[in-house]
Amino acid sequence: MAPLETFVVESTIPEEAEHYKHIISDAITDLVLAQAIEQIRVVVKPEDSLFQMMMILRGGMPPVKVSDFAHVGEGTFGESEIVIDIDNEAYLPQLLENLWEMCGRINVHQPERKTVSMTCENPLEHISEIEEMVIEDPQRTLKSKLVDMAIRATPEGFRVRYHSLTGNHFIFVATEDIMKKEWIEEAHKMLDELTGGEPSGSSS
Amino acid sequence: MAAVLEPYVYEGGIHKHGLLLELLEDLGGFLIQKIPAATEVTLIMLIPNKDIHLMEELAIKLLGKIKRSPLTGTEIAVVSPTLAYHHLPHSACDIAEFLRRGGANTNMIGLARGMGRRVALSGDYERKLINEHDIALFSFGTFRDCIVNKKPKLFEGIDIPVVVTGAPDIKTEDIPNADMYIGGIGRVSHRLRKGSELEGLDKMNEMVSEMVNMVREDISKDPLAVLPARVMKEIKDQIPEIEHVLTPAPITIQLDGLRVKLPYDEFHEKVGNIEFDEGPLLSEMANIMPSKMKNYILIKIQRKSEVGFVI
Repeated sequence: MAPLETFVVESTIPEEAEHYKHIISDAITDLVLAQAIEQIRVVVKPEDSLFQMMMILRGGMPPVKVSDFAHVGEGTFGESEIVIDIDNEAYLPQLLENLWEMCGRINVHQPERKTVSMTCENPLEHISEIEEMVIEDPQRTLKSKLVDMAIRATPEGFRVRYHSLTGNHFIFVATEDIMKKEWIEEAHKMLDELTGGEPSGSSS
Repeated sequence: MAAVLEPYVYEGGIHKHGLLLELLEDLGGFLIQKIPAATEVTLIMLIPNKDIHLMEELAIKLLGKIKRSPLTGTEIAVVSPTLAYHHLPHSACDIAEFLRRGGANTNMIGLARGMGRRVALSGDYERKLINEHDIALFSFGTFRDCIVNKKPKLFEGIDIPVVVTGAPDIKTEDIPNADMYIGGIGRVSHRLRKGSELEGLDKMNEMVSEMVNMVREDISKDPLAVLPARVMKEIKDQIPEIEHVLTPAPITIQLDGLRVKLPYDEFHEKVGNIEFDEGPLLSEMANIMPSKMKNYILIKIQRKSEVGFVI
């Protein structure tokens, strides 16, 4: 599936919408979000001080667990050590942070580049716990990036904001004046149009 | 009658550029700013118009380039509604950079509360600071409605010519209190380097030059008592402390004055007591004020009608 299946920007004056589309696509490029967004529709009405953005995201990547990139086993020095052999070093810093937090910095060693060993009592009990440990959650990173992108794309003075993230559906409404309920409802309706009638749900 | 001075910029190697400076001094021209960068040097100068060919010949001999830079000797305020990433570094910085290529000195001013439509406003201090410049260039965004109906309240209290940039095509007369509108440069989040964007910036430089010429013509009807470039030269000769100022332009020339980047309390009397060969002191021909920018000195030269003579 190609990135950004739908990318529509609407405004009162069509040329201005075209210009605004460049601003939004720059924000998407800067934050490397093109692969994460399936459809996006933006409506800007400067005369009402209104900015609405509806997005459908791609099915997110599952969280990365230790067992996805490392082999966790018993150490060679008896029962008081766990050895973790790592395949992908990209997750090493976060893994170390988590292990330090779990059993203290003094008990975690890195005898060589791709091996981490940990001294603890009853290591066998801890092996499954470490294997299931979540090291990175792409969904969480995505959420913070989405919020950043929404704020970058909004005209600067529009500081009254509403947002909703339900599953893969993201709605962002911003204005300078008092937020009207119908603007939020309108945004939900437009999101329904994007999804093709499938209700978007609402939560704030 | 003093010679008519033309603004030029020289770009070339640093080797033997002293010859150019010597010739410039012999011809009675002024060096406004010298910007050395490794083995290259950029000289911004005012050259007497009858002798330009001499400078051109020498520049060719030194394998450098010399070209007219109409914005030389101006200080332009590039005002953006705020300093948030919606305006910076693109497009406000790109605009300022282009104006500097035209020879202008620019100051970037981000208003504290300039964003939005209903809530946009400027402070008294900001307006006074902007009014110290020759021209104020406001860089706005994409929407016609904002530029025409909402943003002009930021121009209230601005006494200098106001140039506005934005994306849509709008006639200048549709924007209240603006003196010039330049379209095609709106809010962008990338560096302005596409053909159409650079054309827009070129057009902007042309139009700002027109505005500068209009101000110059206006000044020529009632000329300044002394040329700002001459005052600059005298300050350099008579106040040696200026050599120790590390800012890129220790003395910034404006169309009708100068900004001297020395502390006001310590130096304003020395500046006022600058003597000219013809007799008068600078304080007899100019108002010497504290600048709103840091603790600098702002000099605004009086007109012939006020002092009764021109030197």
